[in-house]
Amino acid sequence: MRALITTVVGAIFAVPLYVVLANTFKHGPDIAPDPVGLPVPPMLDNIAAVLSRPDRLFWASLGNSLMVTGLSVAVLTVLSAMLGHYLARTDSRWGRIATLVLLSGLMIPPQVILLPVVQVLRLFDLMTTVQGLLLFNVGYYVPFGVFVFAGFVRTIPIEMEQAAAIDGAGRLSAFWRVVFPLLRPASASAIIFFGVWIWNDFLNPLIILGPGQGTTITTGIYRAVGQYQVDFGTVFGLMFLATLPVVVFYLALQKQFVKGLTSGATKG
Amino acid sequence: MTTDVGTRRRRAAAITATARRRRLIWRDLGHFGVFAAPGMLVYLCFVLAPIVVSFGYSLTSYNPFNPPTTFVGGRNYALLLRDEEFLTALRVTVILTVILVVVPNVAGLAVAVLLDRKGWFYNAWRATFFVPVVLSSVVVSVVWTRLLADDGVVNQVLGWAGVPKVGWLSDPDLALYSLAAIMAWQMLGFCVVVYLAGLQAVPHELQEAASIDGAGPVARFRRVTWPLLAPALTINTVVLLITAFKAYDHIQVITNGGPGSGSTATIAFVILHTGFTANRQGYASAMAVVMLVIIATASAITLRLLQRREVRL
Repeated sequence: MRALITTVVGAIFAVPLYVVLANTFKHGPDIAPDPVGLPVPPMLDNIAAVLSRPDRLFWASLGNSLMVTGLSVAVLTVLSAMLGHYLARTDSRWGRIATLVLLSGLMIPPQVILLPVVQVLRLFDLMTTVQGLLLFNVGYYVPFGVFVFAGFVRTIPIEMEQAAAIDGAGRLSAFWRVVFPLLRPASASAIIFFGVWIWNDFLNPLIILGPGQGTTITTGIYRAVGQYQVDFGTVFGLMFLATLPVVVFYLALQKQFVKGLTSGATKG
Repeated sequence: MTTDVGTRRRRAAAITATARRRRLIWRDLGHFGVFAAPGMLVYLCFVLAPIVVSFGYSLTSYNPFNPPTTFVGGRNYALLLRDEEFLTALRVTVILTVILVVVPNVAGLAVAVLLDRKGWFYNAWRATFFVPVVLSSVVVSVVWTRLLADDGVVNQVLGWAGVPKVGWLSDPDLALYSLAAIMAWQMLGFCVVVYLAGLQAVPHELQEAASIDGAGPVARFRRVTWPLLAPALTINTVVLLITAFKAYDHIQVITNGGPGSGSTATIAFVILHTGFTANRQGYASAMAVVMLVIIATASAITLRLLQRREVRL
């Protein structure tokens, strides 16, 4: 009975996912008249067409997305682990104020600060550069990282760090060798959140990278939709390829993700 | 003699104490510099400074293509109160946020309870429910636009059942709810996964103890499981609020703020159009400041409420 209900609910829920899959492997002109039909026979034309486009839209966007996402996630994870750990362990008044200031930035939408951010980036001459987007990502997502890491740090016993300090390890090396490995579940959830969010970010790259500096995967799809209003084959092929890395990424990390969320959250 | 030695000793002790305190302060400062300063600095430059700049702009008539910029005091804010577009956006934002916080939380809990069994079958469904979460909002928007168009799949299926066409995305009274439903669909899997993790962390002994005490399934859920899900509720609500406040991509791709006059335009959407398209940056900044005040209030209240619930356990 439970299995039956699960299947019915799940099947209804998954219709849009099926539509993406089915149309990716369907003959382009057949998509508009019959978007839910099975792709018989399935074909790879759409994917091949996207991969071999003369303007290399897909490959260029993929490179940009990988670079921006990879760098942002790496910097963010290290910085917010250090900051989150510091704030969770300090009991000074300034530490509490810093926590408050950071957490109040947790829910600020990028649109609200994007206008002045553009000014700040212009000031540093970083507009339409990958570095500018990277810095903005770090500043914008750091509160969420602190939220995850600080919650998790409170669950691990301080004695382990103190033991490392007595052994004569400096603060930084104690952090690297003892604390950071302990934070692995929190790092996994932070990495997944950052990775998915930044990979899928649409507005920030659209405005900060601008039209000249190439596109990321997400802005690439948006531009393709505008350009090829009729060519749904290309659009679905592009959407499938854009989604593939992030789905694989999640499936590979999902165990750690769940563990990080529960262990950090249930006791935090 | 003895007193002299005593004073000297005391004085020496006082000096070393100050020195030690000073050294401690320096060490704390160094600690802060290494661990906290880099993150704080970037945050300061790209979030806090822009907010201050926004507030500054909001008091002026700044428009990069229409100088001169003059100080106008609170005039932008006074204008906002009578701006039909802004007031509509405020209403749209509130409706969208409420739907987006309530629906995935409730439906996600229901699905999580449904999927709370071991085995590949339930694991596979859990993964399926999560897939939309990692999809790009542009992908989700393009697919749902095809499904909900006037001649789209949903209307075709309803047509077989004899239901007349529904303007899911073209009816100004309906488009906002369709949009909210699409976003709720995308976030549902997130809530499912978090609630499932919470459910699976509930100790069996507690359930058994409660059932020995004569608690039925409903009472067990209300008295044992639900209180233990408080942290899951916190995470879900925080992430859903973040999603709702920054709702923009779906709106831009699916409805572009329409149909009609701004029936799906949130404050975030209107801010960008006023600021980047119309270039009325002073006025847009005033909107941003109002939005920030609303968000700060909302997040302070939710964090406090949710955490109080967690602490009480």
